Amino acid sequence: MTPDRLPEPGSPHGNGRGAVRSPILRTEGLTVRFGGLTALDNVTLAVPHGEIRAMIGPNGAGKSTFFNCVTGVLRPTSGRIVFDGEDITGLPPHRISQKAIARSYQITNILPGATVLENVRIAAQSRHHSWSLVRHHRAFVDVIDRARAVLDAVGLGDKEEELAANLSHGEQRHLEIGIALATEPKLLCLDEPTAGMSVSETRATVELIRQIATDLTILIVEHDMEVVMGLAHTITVLHYGEVVAEGTPAEIQANPRVQEVYLKT
Amino acid sequence: MTRSAAGYWIGFAVVLALLVVAPLVLPEFWRRFVTEILIWGLLAMSLDLLIGYTGMVSFGHSAFFGLGMYGAAAALLTVRPPNLWLAILYGLVGAGAVAVFVAYFSTRLRDIYFAITTLVFSQIFYVIIFTWTEVTGGENGLGFSQPAFAIPGVVSARFTPVTLHWFVLAVVTVSYLGLRRITQSPFGMVLQSIRENEPRTRAIGYHVERYKIVAVMLSGLFAGLAGVLYALQNKFAAPDFVFFLVSGEVVVFNVMGGMGTLVGPVAGAAFFFLLRELFSRFFTEYYLIPVGIIFTLMVIFVPQGLLGFLRRRLNQ
Ligand SMILES: Nc1ncnc2c1ncn2[C@@H]1O[C@H](COP(=O)(O)OP(=O)(O)O)[C@@H](O)[C@H]1O
Ligand SMILES: [Mg+2]
Repeated sequence: MTPDRLPEPGSPHGNGRGAVRSPILRTEGLTVRFGGLTALDNVTLAVPHGEIRAMIGPNGAGKSTFFNCVTGVLRPTSGRIVFDGEDITGLPPHRISQKAIARSYQITNILPGATVLENVRIAAQSRHHSWSLVRHHRAFVDVIDRARAVLDAVGLGDKEEELAANLSHGEQRHLEIGIALATEPKLLCLDEPTAGMSVSETRATVELIRQIATDLTILIVEHDMEVVMGLAHTITVLHYGEVVAEGTPAEIQANPRVQEVYLKT
Repeated sequence: MTRSAAGYWIGFAVVLALLVVAPLVLPEFWRRFVTEILIWGLLAMSLDLLIGYTGMVSFGHSAFFGLGMYGAAAALLTVRPPNLWLAILYGLVGAGAVAVFVAYFSTRLRDIYFAITTLVFSQIFYVIIFTWTEVTGGENGLGFSQPAFAIPGVVSARFTPVTLHWFVLAVVTVSYLGLRRITQSPFGMVLQSIRENEPRTRAIGYHVERYKIVAVMLSGLFAGLAGVLYALQNKFAAPDFVFFLVSGEVVVFNVMGGMGTLVGPVAGAAFFFLLRELFSRFFTEYYLIPVGIIFTLMVIFVPQGLLGFLRRRLNQ
């Protein structure tokens, strides 16, 4: 899993050398203003198919805001978001989800009163049979099989009958990823998936992300530099809503501007 | 079948058997009491689909109930001879039409705004019914005679109190099983997901407003059906039943009996009417004071309602 195995993506800063893969996600001049505050400032980037892209930057840099735009929670003030060749700017969250973009949340966002299986099953069901009113939901075995496969993948296969609220923090974070995966995404946006995790939980999560990354594109926001350096093919650095650097982990580590704004704080 | 599923169906059969036998053994007053509880219970169940399963509190169910009543009245007063099935059809169409209207406008709003909108709509219908005397009979409502129970070529018999009870029981039982199946269907699971976490439900790809609209429409149809049954039982339609106090009572049935169980609200209705019966003997029209105190105590000490402890088993 060496980062240089993948070709360099087209960079907004002009060194578009070897942009072989077409981007699955592209933003052009994405800008979000909250009153006087510019949370995202003219963000232009392209994420190629199959890449693990990390977004880093100090707190308040605009990373979650970027996710909120891509997943339809926020409508950008200006700019465009193109996914799989299609303009998805301003589409509502359910439409974005149906386009095969999924996300997990910085603050755990699950169905606490439902079982672990139901959390994932309802997500899988959003692709099939969700308008059936007359048959029992357990009769749709394909949905349940999909949910069980996802639970196995995220390591919760033996917890399916537990209430989600009763899981440990680390397990809830994995369930969070499981819900997103169950919607069969092409692009998975992970917002600080290891937040609040112990060292061993973090290690398990990195392993999990590496496994699921084999068939989809991942956009990850993460504060743990070890996680970022170990996982990402490419890193985008945000600062006050602006892209200040983009490159391989090695390039980012060596970039004096990045050290100035981020690594030393 | 698992053991707890067997337990559920045994419980179901026992309660159903008791309700079948009830009119044969109970004195007239209590027979009527049980029939009416079934009808109010159906209204309460219909609301449970919204309150208990979708997490939307409606204070407008009197409108659906009332439109069911007036729809039945329209059929029974205009079509000769009076036809039971047409009464049901008209009642459902009336309640359904109102439900589409209310659903379209109110489901854009959430929480207290949804509740207030449903309340305002039901009061609008109340005012229309109360003042449009030429059509609705205004304050006095409409009286009519009971249709016969007729299936062309099979049977035609006048209702007796006992057979009407059985008819009501059959409609309420089938409605219960229908509502239960809806709550367990993929659609019903989406409603429960909305109740648990609406933004997350959107984020995994559900067009939440559409599900809410259909939930309100279904709820309105079952509430309208309860209104039809009430009209059949009492042979009148009156504006009092469209008034928002009725909606409030139905919310109370849900809270007392246990939201999100379907049968809980029926038990809540029974409990409420028993309390009313008991206390109105001692306190006459001030019965609401002790009932209110008991309700408050229940909300504090039994917040999940009378049958709340069975919630998981009732929904399996
Ligand atoms: N809904 C909002 N309304 C107003 N300001 C917001 C909102 N969401 C985020 N912000 C502000 O935008 C900036 C970027 O926030 P965010 O995207 O959450 O940063 P990050 O995830 O990088 O820590 C912060 O200054 C934050 O306070
Ligand atoms: Mg954030």
